[in-house]
Amino acid sequence: MSFLVKTSYSHNLASTAMLMCSSFCPQIPNQFRRRPISSFPARPLFSVSFKALSSQANNASTKDELPARIGFLGIGIMGSPMAQNLLKAGCDVTVWNRTKSKCDPLISLGAEYKSSPEEVAASCDVTFAMLADPESAVDVACGKYGVVSGMSPGKGYVDVSTVDVETSKFISGHIKTTGALFLEAPVSGSKKPAEDGQLIFLAAGDRSLYETVSPLLDIMGKSRFYLGDVGNGAAMKLVVNMIMGSMMASFSEGLLLSEKVGLDPNVLVEVVSQGAISAPMYSMKGPSMVQSRYPTAFPLKHQQKDLRLALGLAESVSQPIPIAAAANELYKVAKSHGLSDQDFSAVIETLKGKLQKQQ
Amino acid sequence: MEIGFLGLGIMGKAISVNLLRHGFKVTVWNRTLSKCGELVELGASVEETPAAVVKKCQYTIAMLSDPSAALSVVFDKGGVLEQISSGKGYIDMSTVDADTASKISEAILAKGGQFLEAPVSGSKKPAEDGQLVILAAGNEALYKEVIPAFNVIGKKSFYLGQVGNGAKMKLVVNMIMGSMMNAFSEGLVLADRSGLEPQVLLDVLDLGGIANPMFKLKGPTMIGRSYPPAFPLKHQQKDMRLALALGDENAVSMPIAAAANEAFKKARSMGLGDLDFSAVHETLEALKPPH
Repeated sequence: MSFLVKTSYSHNLASTAMLMCSSFCPQIPNQFRRRPISSFPARPLFSVSFKALSSQANNASTKDELPARIGFLGIGIMGSPMAQNLLKAGCDVTVWNRTKSKCDPLISLGAEYKSSPEEVAASCDVTFAMLADPESAVDVACGKYGVVSGMSPGKGYVDVSTVDVETSKFISGHIKTTGALFLEAPVSGSKKPAEDGQLIFLAAGDRSLYETVSPLLDIMGKSRFYLGDVGNGAAMKLVVNMIMGSMMASFSEGLLLSEKVGLDPNVLVEVVSQGAISAPMYSMKGPSMVQSRYPTAFPLKHQQKDLRLALGLAESVSQPIPIAAAANELYKVAKSHGLSDQDFSAVIETLKGKLQKQQ
Repeated sequence: MEIGFLGLGIMGKAISVNLLRHGFKVTVWNRTLSKCGELVELGASVEETPAAVVKKCQYTIAMLSDPSAALSVVFDKGGVLEQISSGKGYIDMSTVDADTASKISEAILAKGGQFLEAPVSGSKKPAEDGQLVILAAGNEALYKEVIPAFNVIGKKSFYLGQVGNGAKMKLVVNMIMGSMMNAFSEGLVLADRSGLEPQVLLDVLDLGGIANPMFKLKGPTMIGRSYPPAFPLKHQQKDMRLALALGDENAVSMPIAAAANEAFKKARSMGLGDLDFSAVHETLEALKPPH
């Protein structure tokens, strides 16, 4: 069942096309009326598409349909707000999480729950996964009662977890043997951007699946990139987070040094915000770091995982990255001191003489 | 307002041009006198020694390249100390270590003069555009008196208290900057070596929480392996070294800064000292085996 939705957003629509939306996503909020930034070649925000009037067409790999039923595996810090945004936009969402109770808020918003990744994948057209690390991503995709067991031609799997290149290719290979399509699409952005639908997707893999899910990515994010072959998304994400991890470590050194030499670290934060190295991360995290508070937006253990994977990537291409290596050491020390679940800004604690007790 | 200006390098020249354009009367001095020519054409006067400048002007600003030059213009023959006196103010905008700033301050005060250290954050373009960030410390009354000049020179001024605090704040900021430049360089090279488009990395960075003007400005030229000097690498390495010394004095652990300093030293040994500090990128680029 479908109906024509005429939108006042006319930018980039081909002259004879109208955007059609399945009744499962009846409203796409106004926030999408913005220019996307995407990699070559530039794509319009909405895929221009016609829904086949014949109901035979259920092949989600064509651009002709938006996925009707959407699966979401992994309802953590990121998965929960992302799935919520899909639900709030009117999408039909089925969820799974290793700890079922985390799904309760979503179920109360109308999500369905299934008790294994396999069942979710089998009952949905496109399934997203947002998992903590390569091990979980492989387990959910390829393990017992995993996604692979529920996949079939016409379906798609979009892994938005942050993993290494090899893991992504491994999962991709297994998914594709079922005849289904695969897209990796790790995100840049943490908890708040996830809540606000302001993530940046770094996608790679099956181009037609990317086109199909772009409207869904636009619900959850502010921009998206298509980067080519599977592995490119993973690599891009690792490079970005490598830079971020090093920057946070350096910023920590600066805050600590300023305080030790008799300056007010809050003034340092202000001075930094005025100059060439002013970054949103510094302004946002600086004040709480000065107060030794690290409310978790991006868990430190994940930052360390990303640095470790970035070092692995660098090694695979024989590229020395001494600053990242030094930063990684600090995050490892932080983990050994029980700071894994704090925000990654807690790395500053490792530079202090006496570590504060964390709750 | 009549202002003396000592030191017409990349920064000094841009700042004094800016002051002249805003109607200040400026008297300049530079170790290499020929560099004064352009300023004279814009209406500046020239004197042959720092002392002669100080004799003429109530306020004298200095912008020298390093602690040794900053000490030299004050203490040497024909230096500032020969003419500094009560009622005159000396404002040193050079980036030096806290000890050098204190030494200069003591000497100025001993002669009855007033002293303000005022190192800046920002390089050539912000200097030309009057968009520097000024980190002043020392005589607060003097600070207030020269605010009209600071408002032309910069977009924001901070008064940080006792002499030495300006120097320290500057070093901390530049330490973070030097480490960030290295992290950025590592990212660009890793992206390239992994088969990604470095320009796309720039686009992605520009959208997120770690977007900053330095990446945006330097990224494209670094990708093109071009490093026109806005902030010479040798000065950046000097600042990292001074910041590490500060950390050393206060037992502050700084492994990232230490690693970054090594990269800048390597770049200097490769002869890149006079290029922009982004040339540290070459230390990684040069290691790439041919494709």
